[in-house]
Amino acid sequence: MAELKLVNVKKVYDNKVVSVEDFNLEIRDKEFLVLVGPSGCGKSTTLRMIAGLEEISSGDLYIGDKRVNDVPPKDRNIAMVFQNYALYPHMDVYNNMAFGLKLRKFKKDEIKKRVDNAAKILGLENLLNRKPKALSGGQRQRVALGRAIVRDAEVFLMDEPLSNLDAKLRVQMRAEIQKLHSRLQTTTIYVTHDQTEAMTMATRLVVMKDGIIQQVGAPKEVYDEPDNVFVGGFIGSPAMNFLNGKLIGNYFIMDDVKLLVPDGRLKILKERGYDGKDIILGIRPEDINDEQVFLDFSPETKVNASVEVAELMGAEIILYSQVNNQSFVARIDSRFNITAGDTIDLAFDLSKAHFFDKETELRIK
Amino acid sequence: MIDQLRKIYSTLQVYKDSSDELGIDYKWFTTDNHEVIGIRNDELTSKDISLLTAFLSPYNVKFPNPTDVEGKWRKLIFSTEPIEGEKEWKPSNPFRFVYFSFNKDQVEPILFKDAIEALFDKQVSILWHNEHEGFIIEQQMVDEDSISYDQIIDILMSDLYVKINFFVGPYKKDVNDLSLHYKSLTNVANQVFQYTNKSVVTYVDAIPFILTKQTDEGLRLDISKTILHEYIYDEETIKMIETFFECNLNLSETAKVLHLHRNSLQYRLDRFVDKTGIDIRQFHNAMTVSLALLARK
Repeated sequence: MAELKLVNVKKVYDNKVVSVEDFNLEIRDKEFLVLVGPSGCGKSTTLRMIAGLEEISSGDLYIGDKRVNDVPPKDRNIAMVFQNYALYPHMDVYNNMAFGLKLRKFKKDEIKKRVDNAAKILGLENLLNRKPKALSGGQRQRVALGRAIVRDAEVFLMDEPLSNLDAKLRVQMRAEIQKLHSRLQTTTIYVTHDQTEAMTMATRLVVMKDGIIQQVGAPKEVYDEPDNVFVGGFIGSPAMNFLNGKLIGNYFIMDDVKLLVPDGRLKILKERGYDGKDIILGIRPEDINDEQVFLDFSPETKVNASVEVAELMGAEIILYSQVNNQSFVARIDSRFNITAGDTIDLAFDLSKAHFFDKETELRIK
Repeated sequence: MIDQLRKIYSTLQVYKDSSDELGIDYKWFTTDNHEVIGIRNDELTSKDISLLTAFLSPYNVKFPNPTDVEGKWRKLIFSTEPIEGEKEWKPSNPFRFVYFSFNKDQVEPILFKDAIEALFDKQVSILWHNEHEGFIIEQQMVDEDSISYDQIIDILMSDLYVKINFFVGPYKKDVNDLSLHYKSLTNVANQVFQYTNKSVVTYVDAIPFILTKQTDEGLRLDISKTILHEYIYDEETIKMIETFFECNLNLSETAKVLHLHRNSLQYRLDRFVDKTGIDIRQFHNAMTVSLALLARK
C-alpha cells in the first residue's frame, strides 16, 4: 500500500503545449481517487506521469517517501489498466494473466499462485482455459483487471477502463471495481470523463480543466459546494443551471423576474460587496420545485415558465424551460402530466442555490 | 567501408544469419546499411571504440538474434546488388512495415520481441535501428483474432511499462523499390510524431504532415497567419477547431466533447466566419484550415 504526493507537477510537451500546470495533490493510502474532467483537461497525462510513461517537466512525484521522477516505470511498483481492455488474442485467460510475470522471469509456481488468486478474486476460475474471443465484454475487462492484480502492486492506475463497455455493463463493472478495491485496499487512481462514474466510485474527486485542478473533495462536497461555475456545471446530470442577473437590495433580478435571496446568502453577498453588481445564480435542476406546498411557501422565489420540452424519465420529468430568455432545466416528480407548451409555476429553492462572481466565475462564499 | 575496416581490424566479421551467435568477446556495431559487424574486444582500445562509435552505431548484444527471415528482409531492403548464385527470396503475402519507437532504456529488445510475437502468435520479423526503434514487418493474414495497434499499445504498456509510438505503413504486394519505400517510411516516421500527440499514426494520417513539412518555413508561417488571422495564437479557439475536425465536423459531438452548449459552439464558429471569412462547417474550408493548423505547428 502507498501514499503518493505530487508537488508543483507540470507537463509541457515539445510543441510548448502545457498539458498539466502546477499540480499539487496528496493521495492517501488505500484511497480510491478519481481524476475527472473533459477531454484534453490533462487527467490522463497526470496518470501517465505517475506511471512514468510521460516525463515530468518540473515538480516532484513521491510514492511513499521516495521521489520517483527518475525511477523507470517498471520499478515504481504500479499496475495499469487501460481503456482498450485488449488481451493477447491467441492466449487463454490463464496465460493472459501470467504473461506479464513470465516476461519478468517469475518462477512458475509463483505465477500459478498469483494467477489462481486473482482468478478467485474476480470469479474467473472456470474461464481460465478460454480464449478472449469466447468471453463477454465484462469478462474480458475482468481479465484485464486480473492482469493488474497479479502484479501485487502498491498502486493501481486505471485510465478510463470502462469507457469501451456498453452502459449496462459499465454500471455492473463499476460495482465490481468498487468491490475489488474494498477487498484489496490498494491505492487506486482512476481517470474518467464520466461524472457519474466519478461520483459513484470515488473516495475523493479531483476535477480538472485545461490542465489545472479546479476542486478536490469528496463527491458530495464537490456536488453540494462547487468552487466555480465549471465544477458546478460539470458535476451533476442534468447540469447545474446558471442564470445571469443582478443583486439589487434583497433580490436577485433578471429583468422583470425577482427572486428573494435568503438571509444567510444575502449577508455574504452584501459583505463581499456584490450589492448592485452582476452575478451568476447557480441552481441544480432538483432544487426547482412544482409542488404546491413549495409554491405556497416560496411566493417570492416563484417563476412562471413555459415548458419547451418535457422528458418523461419514469419517476421524474426533466423540463426544459426559459425565464427571461435564459434556459434552465428542472427535475420534477412525474405525478403530474406536463407536456411541451404548458405554462407552469416553479419555485426556486434559493437556500440550496449558489452565487458566482460574473468575472472570475468563482463561488461567492 | 567494411573492406577498409578489415584492413585495420583483422578480426572484423559480418554477422550473417541466425545460426551465428553475437559473441560477447566481440564489440558489435551497425553500419549505415544496417549490416551488423563485430571486432574482437582484444583488438580494440578505448580510443578505437570512441572513434568507431563516431560513425557506427553500437549494436547491443541484448538484441534478439536475427532470424533467417529477418536476414532475408535485410538483403531485400539493403543489398544494392543481388548475391551471385542465390535465388532472390520474396515474401509470400502482402506485407507492411510498422515503425515503432519507445523511450531509451525502458524495455529490452528481447522482451519487446517476445511480447510482439505473443500478440501475433507467430514469429514476427523486426528490423532494429537501435535499441528503441525499428520496424515490425507484418505480413497480411486472415486472422479473426487480430487486434489494432491502439490495443497493442495498451497491452504492451501494461505488461512492459513502456510508451510506444507506431507508424503503420501501407500494405505492399511486391518488393519493387523496397529500399526507397523503407527509406521514405523511415523519414516520415522520424517527422510525423513531431506533429501529433497520437500514438498510432497510419500512412494515410501522415500524408498532410508530410506535404506540410515539404513547404518552406516562411510559407508555412504566411499560410497560417493568412488563414487563421487573429486566431493564430488563440489556443482556446484552436482547440475548439481541432476537436471539431476530430469529431468529423459534427457539431453535437464536438459540443459534447468540449462540454459546451451546441448553440455556444455554433456562435463561436459563426464568429470565426465573421473574422476570417472561412466557414469550417464546409469540407473544403475545413481542409484548408486543417492544413493551416499543421503549418502553424
